[in-house]
Amino acid sequence: MSLMNNWINKGRLKSPWVMHFDCGSCNGCDIEVLACLTPLYDIERFGILNIGDPKHADVLLVTGTVNHRNKHVLKNLYDQMPGPKAVIALGACGLSGGVFRDCYNVLGGIDKVIPVDVYVPGCPPKPEAIIDGVVLALEKVKALLEAAG
Amino acid sequence: MDILVFTTVVLPFLAALALVLLRDRGSRSLIVIGTAVVLIASSLAMVGQGSFEYTPTSLLGIGADSLITLLDFVLLGIILIIALTKLKNFLIAGLTIIQVLGLAFLEFFQPGGHATAAPAMFADKLSLIMVLIICIVGSLICVYALGYMPEHEDHLHLAKSRQPRFFLFMIMFLGAMNGLVLSNKLMWLYFFWEVTTFCSFMLIAHDDTEEAVKNAARALWMNMLGGVAFVLALIFMQKSGMSLNLSDVLSPGFSAAGAVALIPLFLLCFAGITKSAQVPFQSWLCGAMVAPTPVSALLHSSTMVKAGVYLVLRLSPAYAGTMLSGLLAMFGAFTFLTASGLAVGQSNAKKVLAYSTIANLGLIIACAGINTPAAITAAIVIIIFHAVSKGLMFLCVGTAEQKIHSRNLEDMRGLYMVMPKTAIVTLIGVLTMLLPPFGVLMGKWMAIESAAAVKYMPVTIMLALGSGLTVMFWARWAGILFSTPYPKNVTPEVQPSTVRLPLVILAWGALLLSLCVPFLYSGLIEPAVMSSHKAAGYMLESFNFVSPQGIFYIYPLWVLMGVGVFFAWRAARKADPATYVGPYLCGIQAKEDAVAFRGPMGANVGYQAGNFYLSWLFGEERLSYPINMVATVLLAVMLGVLLGGMI
Amino acid sequence: MGKLLLAIIAVILAPIVGGLIAGVDRKITARLQSRFGPPILQPFYDVLKLMGKSAMTVNPMQVLSVWIYLASSMLCVFLFFMGSDLLLIFFVLTIGAVFFVMGALSTQSPYAQVGAQRELITMLTYEPLIILVFVSIAMVTGSFKVSEVFGQQKPLLYQLPLMFIVLGYALTIKLRKSPFDISACHHAHQELVRGVLTEYSGPQLAMIEIAHWYDVIFILGLCALFWTTSFTGMAILLILTYFAELIIDNVTARMTWKWMLQSVWGWGLALSALNLLWLYAG
Repeated sequence: MSLMNNWINKGRLKSPWVMHFDCGSCNGCDIEVLACLTPLYDIERFGILNIGDPKHADVLLVTGTVNHRNKHVLKNLYDQMPGPKAVIALGACGLSGGVFRDCYNVLGGIDKVIPVDVYVPGCPPKPEAIIDGVVLALEKVKALLEAAG
Repeated sequence: MDILVFTTVVLPFLAALALVLLRDRGSRSLIVIGTAVVLIASSLAMVGQGSFEYTPTSLLGIGADSLITLLDFVLLGIILIIALTKLKNFLIAGLTIIQVLGLAFLEFFQPGGHATAAPAMFADKLSLIMVLIICIVGSLICVYALGYMPEHEDHLHLAKSRQPRFFLFMIMFLGAMNGLVLSNKLMWLYFFWEVTTFCSFMLIAHDDTEEAVKNAARALWMNMLGGVAFVLALIFMQKSGMSLNLSDVLSPGFSAAGAVALIPLFLLCFAGITKSAQVPFQSWLCGAMVAPTPVSALLHSSTMVKAGVYLVLRLSPAYAGTMLSGLLAMFGAFTFLTASGLAVGQSNAKKVLAYSTIANLGLIIACAGINTPAAITAAIVIIIFHAVSKGLMFLCVGTAEQKIHSRNLEDMRGLYMVMPKTAIVTLIGVLTMLLPPFGVLMGKWMAIESAAAVKYMPVTIMLALGSGLTVMFWARWAGILFSTPYPKNVTPEVQPSTVRLPLVILAWGALLLSLCVPFLYSGLIEPAVMSSHKAAGYMLESFNFVSPQGIFYIYPLWVLMGVGVFFAWRAARKADPATYVGPYLCGIQAKEDAVAFRGPMGANVGYQAGNFYLSWLFGEERLSYPINMVATVLLAVMLGVLLGGMI
Repeated sequence: MGKLLLAIIAVILAPIVGGLIAGVDRKITARLQSRFGPPILQPFYDVLKLMGKSAMTVNPMQVLSVWIYLASSMLCVFLFFMGSDLLLIFFVLTIGAVFFVMGALSTQSPYAQVGAQRELITMLTYEPLIILVFVSIAMVTGSFKVSEVFGQQKPLLYQLPLMFIVLGYALTIKLRKSPFDISACHHAHQELVRGVLTEYSGPQLAMIEIAHWYDVIFILGLCALFWTTSFTGMAILLILTYFAELIIDNVTARMTWKWMLQSVWGWGLALSALNLLWLYAG
């Protein structure tokens, strides 16, 4: 069983399927995420796939400011992802609300709604930074799995 | 032997009479269940005794022959009166008058053809198989009707019960069917044939609504057309000096007479085609679906429509190797393809079953047309297994309809939550109709392989296309039955035992019959094929069906799939309700209802789904006319080719 | 006995070979798109990861359906390598296909429902054509048995070239490749979210993937039957066919189901009729 566990852990590290959700972003971060999928950066070589279905996804990549309107959606999507899962907050808006922080409808960061594992700052963050963030999330998952044994 | 013939043929007529005289519910249940038990026992005993020949001499002092002729005229007279008074339908009246005249011509102006040494009744294995189906499946359906009809009449708010009349015709019909399959004399066969037509008419019109009477009239004129063809065939045969016995028709060398022999054969097959609602006559069967469900189950899937293909199959050695055989195969395959297509476009569950029945009957006729031992084996296999599974499906639809008050497939979505037991039985019915290792699929496999073996390309292509179409409409029916929220606390529905028992028995019967098919084959089917075609289609090697073309595993499939199903069942049982997550609705699912989403103005938009009926391609309105055109042309070509042979 | 052993080995090795084929598929597709692409073992990592996900059930019927789908696909490969009847094997395949659709229909999810209906239409599209391919093979060898094909002197491709194209249609549909990937597309391509696969997750999705690998092995086995006289010939045929599939996938766009039904049935039946006529006349 432990051998099976090891294999499954290896699979988890080598096959993170990403679901990308835009929480009201200006689309700057989204374009950079899209760039990651292009041949120039090619995140598929890490086994990363852009999956649209939360039930199939491992990593939730969130951009944009969370507001009172779409916080329910964000929570629902996160709940429909089976574990183990990770959340990456992308861009300044995702971290803290960015320049829109004091608006009446903005919550001020994704971690107000769901637990975030990795923050990738930038406005927008470069594709290299995004890839860095995903790798960091994987390492975090790896550490968690090793701690769990 | 005469006792068994009496109990299977005559007794139902007497029981039917008793049902009209003793009109209370208790007596009715007693008579129906009693008759059912006697019929089942008699049919088993008859099979146990084996093939036989028998000539009853007299009944109540009247010569049997004369009695049948007399009753024939009486029956035609009754139909004529009904046609003129109640229906005011001159087409039916005309067809009936033609038959009366034809019958009179046969009886009084063309003597000779009666006094032969041939027995009046005979039973080979094929007849015995039919008797088994009629008695067992038929009796179960009549018992089911005991529980179904009170609810049905309740629903219609009838002041006075019409059940005595209903059961009169249901039980009488069983006797007529038994008589039909046991007859050797074609005149007797013709009589029982017309009795079944009459019973079908009365039963379709049972609810006495305008729609019911209209559809019953349509059924009547189409079947009467078949009757006219039957009488014409008999006149033709008698004029040519042939004796009107099946045993003489089936004697080797019959078709050597050429067109003189083939034309009556074609006419008899035409009668079979109308009886079995093949294209272009399929509209009567679809219209007959207005009748109460036991009628649809008994007459219009398991037994009466089987009488038509029985006749075509029975005559197959006579037209083997002739052009009629090849044309019949094309015709049957065409029906199979087009009826399957029409079923894809249907959302009315009973009509789906009706078209599926027509398709399977077309498949049987195609097999009869291919006329090799393997194909005839296929035909008999389909007759047996289709009767059981289709009867079961109709009973399920009837039961579901009484609960949900609809026969639309869309209303049967999630039936499992409302009627779990019926839903599971319906699933068994669908699976036994569609998948290996069950009998109907084995018949289809045999049919395709035998068509390929004789290199009938158009037939094979049509069978392949039709086979793909059947998967579509069965699979979606099976799937939507279980389209439910997470099934927690599903309470089994309450059903009267006269409804539940036939459902359960037929479901188990379908499964066990498929499991025992090697024994069924060696005991009944192979001898039937050997006696008519002098060769066996398949050899049984360690219970697998082997032919030069291929092999159909029975027990290896059951065991291996059984293991798979066992593990699947175990895994499904271990599913934890706590792991329930609603469907994906883009994250805007409503809090209170996991399958609804938050729509405009914060209101919930509920869940709705529908099947793809592809009505632009397979719709009844669109497809029926071209199909009927082509089918009529096919029949005309058949007749033309044969007539050309005569000239 | 030898056949039984071969069949058991085939059943054990099929998912491994199927996964490797899927991995090579993704690698070559990536290279065609000027990317590097994932490692060849990627499908195995995917399946392992999916097996480790926590269970999410929308309806227990899904669990039942997936197991039966896997069982029937395994049985198909087993029967194929036992050399048994092609038509029977095909009908066993429909057991799994029907249950797969039933599992999707059992969820009350709009995407799964439409995906399931489209899956039924894709089944409707390729099933008659595969039956006709088998009929044509039977016409040449005189039997539907796989074992009979190996006794042939000349490759079937010589007499059934058009049927091979028809089989290619079925292969494209089965592999869920453009332009026929209308019910669910492989990997990251989305159609109606994930179409018929939308509500399956975790271990069930892993099992579906493995069953899909068994199906791919079966269909490639059918392609292999068209050149049984030499192993190199068979290998070259399979490689060329699969590469052609990749090219078609990358060059075409996804079309509508109406177009698929009309064009595949139209061309498929025409090619079949032509080939069968040529066989019959010759």
